Amino acid sequence: MAQPIVHITNLDLKYQHRLIFQDLNWTINRHENWLLRGISGSGKTSLAKAIAGLVRFQGNIELNFDSQSSLAPIVYYVANWYQFKDLEGQSNFYYQQRYNKQSTETTATVRFELETYGQKHQLQFSEVEKLLAALGFADLIDSTLIQLSSGEHKKLQLVSALWLKPQLLIIDQPYNGLDKLSRQNLNRLFEEITAAGTTLILISNDKELPAAIHRFAEVRDGKLTEVSADEYTLESETESKPIPEFLSEAPVSSTGSIIKMAGVNISYGEKQVLKNINWEVKSGEKWLLQGPNGSGKSTLLSLITGDHPQAYANDLHLFGNKRGSGESIWDIKKRIGLISPELHWYFDPLATVKQSILSGFFDSSGLFREPDYTRKTQAAELISYFGLTEYQDNLLNQLPLGKQRLAFLARTIIKNPELLILDEPCQGLDQQQTQYFNKLVDELCKNGTTLIYVGHFESQLPACIEKRILLENGEVKSVENILESV
Amino acid sequence: MSNYFNTLPLREKLNQLGVCDFMDSSEFLDGVNALKGKKLVIVGCGAQGLNQGLNLRDSGLNVSYTLRKEAIEGKRDSWKNATENNFTVGTYEELIPEADVVINLTPDKQHTAVVNAIMPLMKKGATLLYSHGFNIVEEGMQIRKDLTVIMVAPKCPGSEVRAEYVRGFGVPTLIAVHPENDPEGKGLVQAKAYCVGTGGHRAGVLKSSFVAEVKSDLMGEQTILCGLLQTGSILSFDKMIEKGIDPGYASKLVQYGVEVITEALKQGGITAMMDRLSNVAKIKAFEISEELKTIMRPLFQKHQDDIMSGEFSRTMMEDWAAGDKNLLAWRAATGETAFEKTPAGNVKIGEQEYFDNALLMVAFIRAGVELAFETMVQAGIKPESAYYESLHETPLIANTIARKKLFEMNRVISDTAEYGCYLFDHACKPLLADFMKHVETDLIGKNFNEGKDGSVDNRALIAVNEVIRSHEVETIGAELRKAMTAMKSIKTV
Repeated sequence: MAQPIVHITNLDLKYQHRLIFQDLNWTINRHENWLLRGISGSGKTSLAKAIAGLVRFQGNIELNFDSQSSLAPIVYYVANWYQFKDLEGQSNFYYQQRYNKQSTETTATVRFELETYGQKHQLQFSEVEKLLAALGFADLIDSTLIQLSSGEHKKLQLVSALWLKPQLLIIDQPYNGLDKLSRQNLNRLFEEITAAGTTLILISNDKELPAAIHRFAEVRDGKLTEVSADEYTLESETESKPIPEFLSEAPVSSTGSIIKMAGVNISYGEKQVLKNINWEVKSGEKWLLQGPNGSGKSTLLSLITGDHPQAYANDLHLFGNKRGSGESIWDIKKRIGLISPELHWYFDPLATVKQSILSGFFDSSGLFREPDYTRKTQAAELISYFGLTEYQDNLLNQLPLGKQRLAFLARTIIKNPELLILDEPCQGLDQQQTQYFNKLVDELCKNGTTLIYVGHFESQLPACIEKRILLENGEVKSVENILESV
Repeated sequence: MSNYFNTLPLREKLNQLGVCDFMDSSEFLDGVNALKGKKLVIVGCGAQGLNQGLNLRDSGLNVSYTLRKEAIEGKRDSWKNATENNFTVGTYEELIPEADVVINLTPDKQHTAVVNAIMPLMKKGATLLYSHGFNIVEEGMQIRKDLTVIMVAPKCPGSEVRAEYVRGFGVPTLIAVHPENDPEGKGLVQAKAYCVGTGGHRAGVLKSSFVAEVKSDLMGEQTILCGLLQTGSILSFDKMIEKGIDPGYASKLVQYGVEVITEALKQGGITAMMDRLSNVAKIKAFEISEELKTIMRPLFQKHQDDIMSGEFSRTMMEDWAAGDKNLLAWRAATGETAFEKTPAGNVKIGEQEYFDNALLMVAFIRAGVELAFETMVQAGIKPESAYYESLHETPLIANTIARKKLFEMNRVISDTAEYGCYLFDHACKPLLADFMKHVETDLIGKNFNEGKDGSVDNRALIAVNEVIRSHEVETIGAELRKAMTAMKSIKTV
């Protein structure tokens, strides 16, 4: 019998200085496709990186490639996080840069990026074109990297990996940020490459998986256990803690219309990304904002959060004031609790968990002011509520992604804002954390908070949502009440 | 027009050179109020113009851009920058008469022409804002007596001004009011409000004067910031080639080394930079930087003297009049150096290796920063101003070298800085010829610690540390850096 493609024996693995696996053994035979799941912080990513040779470990990880195969004899790891550089090799991008015309032209286009990658790995460009088409990405080939949305960045990562056809492919959070159709298309591509011989390991807590995945493992308390497809270890029901008192008060809210857009258009040169948008959000309403990747959701939100320069040239009212009538972006941000993939990407790398959460009071990406006693006390309460007390002095970006997200969620709600904008808030969280957070959103929203929620997974939404706006190609496709239809 | 500084009596010269006040954050509690509802018109829309304008508008202020007719009709980049970000753009005639504050962000060389064109159009009692004092101080531009003249100069490239603002911070900023043009006494209040508008008030604001800004800015950029970085880079590279080090390695060590080394400088001053070396290496770097200081001090003094007397600006303006003859020739020559023409090799150089294998560069930077600082302070410039114009800006310039070498550095900096840089470089290289003859690869190209057991004499080490740490650039630097702790690291590598 052929040797297993991955043979792990007596593996000891650390994350930072903490031992997360001890004496781990795992065998992956060729053509066995695995799903690896587990709560955030359980060590899934570290294990994947060890297999890919990206982190140091003790023990043995033996990789055996098939020398007869036409597939590349390598292991390729796709990170849950996409990082790119500009044409000068820098990655000093800043929050909001995407929307500033003139600042977008310093990064490579998708085409250039792929051509460079293809040359490096000696791949045929015609093959990637098929993949681009299959993921609905072909139109973006001449966009620059900084113009892409988070879901589109994910697609670019996936396309590169699939194009390479490695013998072993490990993908960390493959579905993050992808719309429903893209997830289905991706699963079809997974079926194809596994049929062609690639061994696939997916790290995910999602349930809509390709049929090719037939072995399931759960990482828990430093152990890896094989489970069946539907077997999820039930966490001992975390008793729902009462939310901190300072968050159970109704936020100071404006009355009437919070957001009012009339015939809003946004374009970059020839490319129009929002077309004639009319939308009104009234105080206390709970909205779901949906649309395929690249439909303009983030751009629409950036108009509301004061991050888009073209807001000044449009008919847009926020909190009762016409945009550009003398308010500063800080006046606007003060009233909004925001979480988004972009905010997370560009956040201060030097901030600790506590500083990051406290920065929510000032709407800054990092803490640059000394908070007063009340705010510090409130932060401590919230840190404890999210179970982050033991991490509070660690650098935020050194935490596992799921824990980073929890800290960001705390940052988002800490000032008890009148408008919550949650753009894919639960990316990277496990199911339990997602449910837990959505319940918290429901709880907060009882007090009259206005909500705009972006989420691609319909099964993972807060219950309080009552209205939905659907974007497609930069246009409003439909607006409906969804409470009644349920 | 004659040199403004030279028209002043000594008492007033010293008085203006000595304006230097690190402002307390409580000075900015009024926010942007002093400019609220006023019409701000920016002349020019390059990197500083656009990014300052984006920040001011996001702070709730009314901003528009005025460009020359040709720039508008030709739809030049400046026009595109402004219109594509949805700013109103108009000619001088259309926008200047309405303006409460006119912000001149054009290159130095154009100032006289621009100010002569806009001044007659400005309404009575308006304010003219500069970000550099060359036109007022060196060219002696006379501004109408009813107009207020102020300066607000963010001490970072335009893209940083924007990036720091959107994350809720800002960049260190220098402000000044021209004493000859403050008829209503509103200059300082407006300058402070402008600082809040660009976010500068969060990262430390230094109140200076037009004179102090020009005399220190010219000195810093000519000597340590651009001049010595250029000279040091070229000499280090040439030495390595002469001694048979792989050109790709040598090119990379220098190109990225300046950035890695000065990042330590930015975080913790000369002390932190020197502490990155082993004890033996530190003592060696100290010794050769002392030697370099002795050799180069007369040149630093000459630059400062020529700046103070107006000789520098006189010769540069002659070159302007000659169609930038010298500037263009020197620029071309820089493009032809071996360092410029050798691409960085595809070799991995570890972060510590940039220190261990480039002791000479560390010594150059210590010598240059300390000399520039000392020379400025001796000439009557206050230590705080001298710090900004020497140590503070060195990492920012080093970053441009890391991106695309000297050509890029000289493209990004002003023409004035570029001219001074070449002037220094041409004088400095011959001065160092003898010194360089004795440099071996242990100082540049190979690890100095190799083959040494690392032992040092305790007393010698203590003495060296004492000299490094008690230098005034270190004591003042520690103070000023507190205000900018949150500045993020700019990194290419």
